[in-house]
Amino acid sequence: MADCARKGRTRDSMDKSITLPPDEIFRNLENAKRFAIDIGGSLTKLAYYSTVQHKVAKVRSFDHTAKETEGDPLYEISVQEEITARLHFIKFENTYIETCLDFIKDHLVNTETKVIKATGGGAYKFKELIEKKLRLKVDKEDEMTCLIKGCNFVLRNIPHEAFVYAKHADSEFRFQNTHPDIFPYLLINIGSGVSIVKVESEDKFERIGGSSIGGGTFWGLGALLTKTKRFDELLQLASRGQHSSVDMLVKDIYGGAYSSLGLTGDLIASSFGKSATTDKEFSKEDMAKSLLHMISNDIGQLACLYARLHNLSRVYFGGFFIRGHPVTMHTITYSINFFTKGEVQALFLRHEGYLGAIGAFLKGAEEDNPNQYSWGENYAGSSGLMSVSPDLNPMQRARSGTFDMLEMDRLERQLVNLPLLQDPSSYVPDTVDLTEDALAREYWLSCFEDALDGVVKRAVASQPDLPQAAERAEKFRQKYLHKLQTLRHQPL
Amino acid sequence: MADCARKGRTRDSMDKSITLPPDEIFRNLENAKRFAIDIGGSLTKLAYYSTVQHKVAKVRSFDHTAKETEGDPLYEISVQEEITARLHFIKFENTYIETCLDFIKDHLVNTETKVIKATGGGAYKFKELIEKKLRLKVDKEDEMTCLIKGCNFVLRNIPHEAFVYAKHADSEFRFQNTHPDIFPYLLINIGSGVSIVKVESEDKFERIGGSSIGGGTFWGLGALLTKTKRFDELLQLASRGQHSSVDMLVKDIYGGAYSSLGLTGDLIASSFGKSATTDKEFSKEDMAKSLLHMISNDIGQLACLYARLHNLSRVYFGGFFIRGHPVTMHTITYSINFFTKGEVQALFLRHEGYLGAIGAFLKGAEEDNPNQYSWGENYAGSSGLMSVSPDLNPMQRARSGTFDMLEMDRLERQLVNLPLLQDPSSYVPDTVDLTEDALAREYWLSCFEDALDGVVKRAVASQPDLPQAAERAEKFRQKYLHKLQTLRHQPFAYGSLTVRSLLDTREHCLNEFNFPDPYSKVKQKENDVALKYFQKVVMSLEKLSWEQRQFALVKGLLAGNVFDWGAKAISDVLESDPEFGFEEAKRQLQGKNKNLTTTRYFCSFTFIYLGPPHKCALFFVDNSGIDIILGVFPFVRELLCRGTEVVLASNSGPALNDVTNSELQILTERIAAMDSVIQTALKEDKLTLVQSGSSSPCLDLSRLDKALATVVLERHTDLVVIEGMGRAIHTNYYAMLNCESLKLAVIKNSWLAERLGGKIFSVVFKYEVGRWWSVTL
Repeated sequence: MADCARKGRTRDSMDKSITLPPDEIFRNLENAKRFAIDIGGSLTKLAYYSTVQHKVAKVRSFDHTAKETEGDPLYEISVQEEITARLHFIKFENTYIETCLDFIKDHLVNTETKVIKATGGGAYKFKELIEKKLRLKVDKEDEMTCLIKGCNFVLRNIPHEAFVYAKHADSEFRFQNTHPDIFPYLLINIGSGVSIVKVESEDKFERIGGSSIGGGTFWGLGALLTKTKRFDELLQLASRGQHSSVDMLVKDIYGGAYSSLGLTGDLIASSFGKSATTDKEFSKEDMAKSLLHMISNDIGQLACLYARLHNLSRVYFGGFFIRGHPVTMHTITYSINFFTKGEVQALFLRHEGYLGAIGAFLKGAEEDNPNQYSWGENYAGSSGLMSVSPDLNPMQRARSGTFDMLEMDRLERQLVNLPLLQDPSSYVPDTVDLTEDALAREYWLSCFEDALDGVVKRAVASQPDLPQAAERAEKFRQKYLHKLQTLRHQPL
Repeated sequence: MADCARKGRTRDSMDKSITLPPDEIFRNLENAKRFAIDIGGSLTKLAYYSTVQHKVAKVRSFDHTAKETEGDPLYEISVQEEITARLHFIKFENTYIETCLDFIKDHLVNTETKVIKATGGGAYKFKELIEKKLRLKVDKEDEMTCLIKGCNFVLRNIPHEAFVYAKHADSEFRFQNTHPDIFPYLLINIGSGVSIVKVESEDKFERIGGSSIGGGTFWGLGALLTKTKRFDELLQLASRGQHSSVDMLVKDIYGGAYSSLGLTGDLIASSFGKSATTDKEFSKEDMAKSLLHMISNDIGQLACLYARLHNLSRVYFGGFFIRGHPVTMHTITYSINFFTKGEVQALFLRHEGYLGAIGAFLKGAEEDNPNQYSWGENYAGSSGLMSVSPDLNPMQRARSGTFDMLEMDRLERQLVNLPLLQDPSSYVPDTVDLTEDALAREYWLSCFEDALDGVVKRAVASQPDLPQAAERAEKFRQKYLHKLQTLRHQPFAYGSLTVRSLLDTREHCLNEFNFPDPYSKVKQKENDVALKYFQKVVMSLEKLSWEQRQFALVKGLLAGNVFDWGAKAISDVLESDPEFGFEEAKRQLQGKNKNLTTTRYFCSFTFIYLGPPHKCALFFVDNSGIDIILGVFPFVRELLCRGTEVVLASNSGPALNDVTNSELQILTERIAAMDSVIQTALKEDKLTLVQSGSSSPCLDLSRLDKALATVVLERHTDLVVIEGMGRAIHTNYYAMLNCESLKLAVIKNSWLAERLGGKIFSVVFKYEVGRWWSVTL
């Protein structure tokens, strides 16, 4: 899957035709029910609930009333089919929406489904298309409610969902433990504009503030200033620019720091201040960088003020401005550190892009009580968090042209803390974090690679009577090897 | 002066040569000392301290040991030269700096001055030029400290310094009262960037926040987007634009309001959001407007968050982004209202541009203890607040090409609140705010215009022996007329426009042209005449029964108040019919006021039936002549006889025919010589004369001489009498005091009488007992 996505990613991302086999993306569609869709300004997120039939190994004790013979095994092993519940989330560009809807329609077997929950600004725009194509009634859900519901869900169910971003640290991402109590928290959603939402419990949240200076402002002003129309390209421009040629710094006014006020010389006194009085031409890169700093710092300050005003220490950032972009995660993190003097950390979410879709899905599935179960991320069916610095391989991470997936298995039993844990909120199960220990990471990745042949052999041997055991084992080998290779480059 | 500035303003503001005569701008330069300069990004503000020599009218009692001749005047009037201290502040474009420095150098006589205090970003840049030109050492002062010092100074010393801006209201500017306690407050300085400063006391402030999105961002991004390089032009572009064609509104995303989050459809969801995905060209106007909204809203939200975090309710905005620009004042005000739901008001300052210069000056003058004095804005020497909507006359307000001035007089005495004010922080001296009442404004402006010829004639007549009286009087006429015309178009130029400010401006202009006391001779004559009747009046009162006497006293007080040269109706009569006497006045009053019997009832009720005599009565007196001598003194005499001590408060300086403190000293001595009650009271310190600290026909109870306040407290004053139209109707009509008070006046203006529901010569007799009840007749 990830392999295919990879291939797609290396193609021209402006290509509007789907080059990926959709059946590898919309998995288990034949059993799908409870659809939800979140259509944003540029990306569509689809969620559905499905059942997966898969083999499980069962053990059964022999009847011990019969006389036991020496050499007889203690219990009997059998492979059985079992059906489990799985949540599928797929993200794709809005341009693919029609093709995707067609594909879904052709493969949707389950006829019980009558309704599709929809959220996001685009739900309004694409309502008719969806109703026509899928013959499902579009049932609109409040965008913010969905976002918060989704956020609560991932914070509760996905360990290491939230992370701190540190550009220059050994490990770019530092994952946070799932707190047993996720409330209260502040969610700063940076879409076109900014919404600042205080979440106090599962059902109680309030939009306590907002700003019109958001992702749309970066994009819009950036487009006007640089004639670059694409958001990702603007971010790339910014990452190469020097803001100090456009911004007026404290030292430009005072010749150095303004010490009595505690302002360092390099502090930006006035964003774009130099372009007010200078007649020279500014480079696109420099203007984009200045704009990025201006917007990130502003949001950072607002976030920090609202956090202080409401006495909140957990502040999550989301929205398309953030969504995995190292550049914006870095500037936001920097700004929060600056304004709170390190007291508040900017937290980001691995599955931030799915929050709305998850929330809309949960709204539709309320009768199934999804919150009473525990859910686990299925690593085999999920694309990982996307890469690193845009300089490395910009095209690789141009997520605009790709499909991205998240799958979650419903666990049969609800999982909770061991009540004897001394401090559940600081408990870390793993002894060594390989993301932070490069030597150990290298050792263990090689170790698992070396052991793979043995595992494959063992797998084949375990099913002497079942069909295609060798082929399936080979597929497993390929997939796991690819995951290991991916992890070598993107340990996160 | 303002005249010249006006002419300059209508010229092309890009013209770099000085077209104004600099000697009308840098006034009193020859005596200047203590210079301070604040050089900003585009404007220079110069401050200096100077002394002004001007004429004052002095009265001196004749030597009474010599035999008095009938017909000899009571006292002698002389015009003397007096030197007072004045602060000058001049603002001009940085391009003029060299020319201005040359002019200063050529005219600076005082050689004691060795240092010039400098602040502002430009101080650094122009240091060498200043040192070379002026041969003064440039001594740099911290910019923020100067700004805060200046802000404290204007908030404390200039009434109506702060105002609220309301674009669509009847009156664009609503001025705030000077709070006795100005701290704590938040100052949002929007220069290139934004500084958010919490000020807790004179010396304690902290920059609690800031933002890089400020005036420089508007200017810089605006220049990049519109290719318009001038800040003022960008603002004009913005004022014509439609932000909704560039901004993404809530309704653009959701088709309408997002009600569950309380977001209206017209709210800006994303500034410049539409330019992200639309390929069309946007107009310069629309982009400038969108940018303006973006920046103003952002600053508004930050200001409101910091105010809430620090629990501050007074938030002042300043810096070049704001500086009198109606467009930015409007957007900032809108934003603050939006974010605080009206709980916090955005406040602006009339002299905001001068704060740094004032502060730098104060730093340099610390040894002179400027904060121990009170200061008053000189309306004659100050340009007013600049205009209104930029659409009206953009060039007129293109302040970049002009000179702007502020002059402040050092008042000889420190001014404080009347300690008996019930709530000093909500006290408003003026009864009608003419900035908010267009009809009243029109009436009074015309009224003062009509009266101008008479004032000019009076001024000339008052100085028969002095040179160029006619020319000076004509100059006065021109200047005051121009001020009136300015006020007709910009009523808010000097804060709230009130009858008081119109009167005070006239006094300032008269002084400006050396007419310190045009009524001195009239007053002298009236006093002489009235004194001759004093004993007769007292004797006739003595003959009356107790009850009749109380009635007669009140009637006399009111009749005396008819004699007012400030009222046009009376000055016309006095001019044409000098025989119009005290008895005639009483008859007139009787005719117009059938209810004087009721007056008598309340009068008696007040003074007699309610408990024991008062400990001490404070009496704010009005006119000289019949009013003070035949009206007030018999009344005072009665109070003294009842065992009540009396404090007579009169003006420190002349205004119309109001009796001044020095005149009253002489009058009282003369009355004492004739009357044993007064004599004894003076001797036993039961009758005290104090000066009010004012030179106005009106009365501001929040700016009174400190000595008066002390006496009021020491004597346990429990009755305040305020007499006259200026003091009891134009001002203080609604003033609430902690003790019994009596406000009385005869309405000598038919328009005002009609407004109050009466006729000309109707009587206002307003008795109030602290906060409990009041009676108005």
